[in-house]
Amino acid sequence: MISLTLFEIFITGALLVTCLSPLLLIGLLIRDWKKGDLW
Amino acid sequence: MIDSQIPTQTALIILLLFGAGWIVFGWWLGRRNKTLEDYMLAGRNVGLALASATAMATWITSNTTLVAPQLTYQFGIWGMIGYSMAALGLIFFAPMAQRIKMLMPSGYTCGDFIRLRFGRTAWHVFLVVSFFYAMGWLVSLGMAGGILLEALSGLNYHLGMTAILVICVSYTLLGGLRAVIATDYIQTLIILFGVLFIGYVCWRDVGLTTIYQNVSTEQPQLLNLLFPAAIMFLFNNIFFGIGEIFHSNVWWSRAFAFRKGLGKRAYLLAGLLWLPIPIVTGFIALAGSSLNIYPPSPDMIGPLVAAKLLGEIGAVFVFIVVFSALASSLDSLLAATGDLLTEDVYRGLLRPASDKQHLFKVSKLVVLGLGLTTWLLCLPRLTTLGELLNFTGAFVASTIWPIVFGLYRRRLTGTFAALAMGLGTLSGLFGYFQIGFYVAALTSCLISLLICVIGLWLQDAQFDWARLQNAKETR
Repeated sequence: MISLTLFEIFITGALLVTCLSPLLLIGLLIRDWKKGDLW
Repeated sequence: MIDSQIPTQTALIILLLFGAGWIVFGWWLGRRNKTLEDYMLAGRNVGLALASATAMATWITSNTTLVAPQLTYQFGIWGMIGYSMAALGLIFFAPMAQRIKMLMPSGYTCGDFIRLRFGRTAWHVFLVVSFFYAMGWLVSLGMAGGILLEALSGLNYHLGMTAILVICVSYTLLGGLRAVIATDYIQTLIILFGVLFIGYVCWRDVGLTTIYQNVSTEQPQLLNLLFPAAIMFLFNNIFFGIGEIFHSNVWWSRAFAFRKGLGKRAYLLAGLLWLPIPIVTGFIALAGSSLNIYPPSPDMIGPLVAAKLLGEIGAVFVFIVVFSALASSLDSLLAATGDLLTEDVYRGLLRPASDKQHLFKVSKLVVLGLGLTTWLLCLPRLTTLGELLNFTGAFVASTIWPIVFGLYRRRLTGTFAALAMGLGTLSGLFGYFQIGFYVAALTSCLISLLICVIGLWLQDAQFDWARLQNAKETR
């Protein structure tokens, strides 16, 4: 059985990585928009 | 109606507001579509931000928000890891997307590749596999729409399913792939913020320790790392995810649509960002026993936990997130399957002499017809989402190796590619019915690999890659 510590690291890690996604996508959109590279 | 559900009237208002918004946005974007390439491939020049978001949004389906929690509820830790491994499909497809664009700069569909690379017999087998999967996925998404509304608002299944299909068909019809990609970007952000918010509330209000202790007392097998059926599911899901992406025109049409040189980065980024999402949605399901939620059907566990945690306002929020997940996949699938029907069936089999302007009109009718067919198939609610999805695993996993070897090795011939897809599918179906859904894709993939390896060993064909360059002209 998975230990409590490992379970906590696993779930918290997934939540933290998910936090980065929207920030990265918004940053990329702004960069593409400024360069005229959207389409 | 349970306490955590929103009133039916509120659900209808949200659906109308969002539906109208997407349709008007689709129409506005569709005004720029003057040619078949604009409509089907968004002009073949999509940038990195929109490219990554559309790949990610399409792969975050209702299945990620409804089936990932269901599988976690059934298989525990391995259920969520197994589902997240579907990201490998996006990651492994990244270099292939680059090669597809390089080999076929004027290609339209994955059917173009199979026909030119392997000939008509393999093409026919591939089309059967591809359409079976596409319809399975479409029906699964349509059904998810009805189930979602029923779970969160008590709205009649048929009414909810119809509303979601009408909205997605409308904006896809009006705006083509350009509308699909642009709405996907916004939907990705809604989904990510939504999943994060629900995950955070679950983490804050229920707590990881409480969830762990409750699950280990009531359902200890869910935390067991040696749960045999779940481990089989893990490997099965890896091959299923890879097969779904490698063969489907949803991903090929994007490879053709992305700007030259971007495919690899876009798919890699999408895969890496997608990876933790099923773990977060699955984690929400593990809180079920701590909240005393025992759903009538396992695919309702995710929405019910989220609605219970967040109350009425929260349930509205959940509704918008899952609706976005549904729409972001349904629109992509409608557009890509419509392309395949227009290019491969209408132009390839019925009217080879059709010009681009005629096909431009036909492609819109095809999207409409596809929406109608999906609606008819969704009317009887036949099976749970997970069962329907996994049934198609036997079909798609058989295409992995013919496509990989077809793209990178000259030696594989059409005969062995067709045999690999046909016999792979049959063996996968045998595994599905004799053992269980969790071995269908695995069996199909292994048999298909065996046949491809025999083909590579026995024959020494030297395919000329230049034949793929002019996909439109060669029929």
